[in-house]
Amino acid sequence: MGRVGALDPQAEAAVKVIAYFDRLHGAGLEPLVRGATVLSGLPAALVDPARALSLRARPDGHLTRTALPDPDPAWPHTAIGTAVLWVETTDPAGPVLAMVLERAAAAIGDHLDRTPPPAPPLAALLTDPDRDETERLAAARRAGLPPATRLSALAPHRGPVRLIAPGEDPGAARAGVGPAASLADLPGSLADARRALRFTATGTGADPGPVLVRAEHVGALLPLADTVRPDTPPPPDVAALDRLARDSTALIALADALATAPSVRAAAAALGVHHSTAQQGLERAERLLGWNVRTVPGRLRLQIALQVRRLYLPD
Amino acid sequence: MSTPPPPPFDPELAASLALLGDQIPPSITPDLIGPMRAARAAQAVEGDFTHEGHYTEHALTVKGHDGADVPLLLWRPTWTDAPTGLLYWIHGGGMIVGNHRGSEIPELLATAHSLGLAVASIGYRLAPEHPHPTPVEDCYSGLVHLTDPTAHPALDAARVIVGGASAGGGLAAATALLARDRGGPRLSAQLLVYPMLDDRNDTVSAHQMAGLGVWDRTSNDTGWSALLGEARGGPDVSPYAAPARATDLSNLPPAFLDVGSTETFRDEIVDYATRLWQTGGIAELHVWPGAFHGFDNFAPHAALSREAAAARLSWLRRTLGA
Repeated sequence: MGRVGALDPQAEAAVKVIAYFDRLHGAGLEPLVRGATVLSGLPAALVDPARALSLRARPDGHLTRTALPDPDPAWPHTAIGTAVLWVETTDPAGPVLAMVLERAAAAIGDHLDRTPPPAPPLAALLTDPDRDETERLAAARRAGLPPATRLSALAPHRGPVRLIAPGEDPGAARAGVGPAASLADLPGSLADARRALRFTATGTGADPGPVLVRAEHVGALLPLADTVRPDTPPPPDVAALDRLARDSTALIALADALATAPSVRAAAAALGVHHSTAQQGLERAERLLGWNVRTVPGRLRLQIALQVRRLYLPD
Repeated sequence: MSTPPPPPFDPELAASLALLGDQIPPSITPDLIGPMRAARAAQAVEGDFTHEGHYTEHALTVKGHDGADVPLLLWRPTWTDAPTGLLYWIHGGGMIVGNHRGSEIPELLATAHSLGLAVASIGYRLAPEHPHPTPVEDCYSGLVHLTDPTAHPALDAARVIVGGASAGGGLAAATALLARDRGGPRLSAQLLVYPMLDDRNDTVSAHQMAGLGVWDRTSNDTGWSALLGEARGGPDVSPYAAPARATDLSNLPPAFLDVGSTETFRDEIVDYATRLWQTGGIAELHVWPGAFHGFDNFAPHAALSREAAAARLSWLRRTLGA
């Protein structure tokens, strides 16, 4: 006796696909996404930004509801209103797969039609620059926020915007934090939080640096987030740091440590390496970079180059 | 008495059943035993029987109660030479079909690996050619052999779980009864996955699911009649054939039982668990709403199947302290 598995294209696959999704009527989104997965034998995902929906299922039925990276445009996909359903394969979609996508999308569309998008979460509403101030302040009032409340917008690397109170722990996930602002000025706090997010790093490997950045701490460099786009030609100092990172992740980590520590000795201690090892590394780094990073102007140049480099690094 | 309607199937399981419908007849009659065995024999069993090299497979034989050779497979851990506990598995198949190197073994090895156990699977002889007591005696012989420290010093006889699904679950429960009553191996636990326990085949659930789902009342009659012949349902059925017949369920190892609400075995399994508690025993019972017999095997992707697998693993961890 068999198991439910990817369908044999030679079998009466179309009839079975239709029957499968018809039976799932009213069963909810998860079985529908799992259905697309199990009938295709491929991972499948449904994303709907308007409903903050993000579901991905593996053929073994394991299902996650965490944010997903953008799909490969080559993957077979179907738009369902604001939602997209895809399966993860670069092979061209055969007739069975096309049928699975079509029937799954129809069933999902039917489900979504009956579940209107929820009102956006309060944080998204209060920080939305496209809503006028009266609407935002009314929402804040309805939520019971005192008029004098001051909050900071937090723009996470993945996931929805949050609001945090001054002094509240922003957490350990990669994020930019805007300045504390009045309720009326929260869209501005979010704009700065998003700028600050551009100055964050993964904190590992070729991308050392802080995972959490506050807009105030970026200071006068913050407007650079608006002018430096990924397609802007990088300045020579950034290109030099990229060379350094390619040469050795240990060297770029050392450069980063030096930029944020009061001394070479402190940088060595932060990295857990011996002082003389750090000295040797910095000498090599200086040869690759072309400037002395241990003078005050050289350190400033390094600090700025590291900050600007983060604006170029992909997420 | 008119039979009330069955509880509805879980939608995701119903969809899967529709997909498999032509492969699973709800009602298995004796004339289908031959074709079912042939179909299974023709089907290649796929999967990793080493669990990525963590096990080596050993084909053994044990002497049955009648002196015949009974095949036994043992998967020994490759990661340690120290004695490990054992999951002693008894396959299902309604007493009439199935074999001890089935498609569930790779999954069992993965589970056993996470618990640090060896796995064995007994090739007990099938009914109707081999009626009761041969199947359960074969299972018991395998257990006695594996728990003999001189024969198997690498197995820790103090950490043995007997387990099985469907007919294998019934045989596992019967093996636990035999071990208790003969002063045999002391089992740590019994894993009874929707076990086949009651030859009387006359509960409300048996009637409710007639002609429906997987392994209905007709199939159940076919299986029990193959095992017991004319004695099926009569006054003289041994509890080692049908554990539901046992009047004393005290002093048994901790039990895990699960069952679907929409299957023939529902009521007999719930009753067995209830009687284990009533004697002061330790038992954990999961009734999965709208699940049919063998749901997790046929539709492993479904939400309920994944929940059921997680519940078994969680129980094993807690029970073994692993």
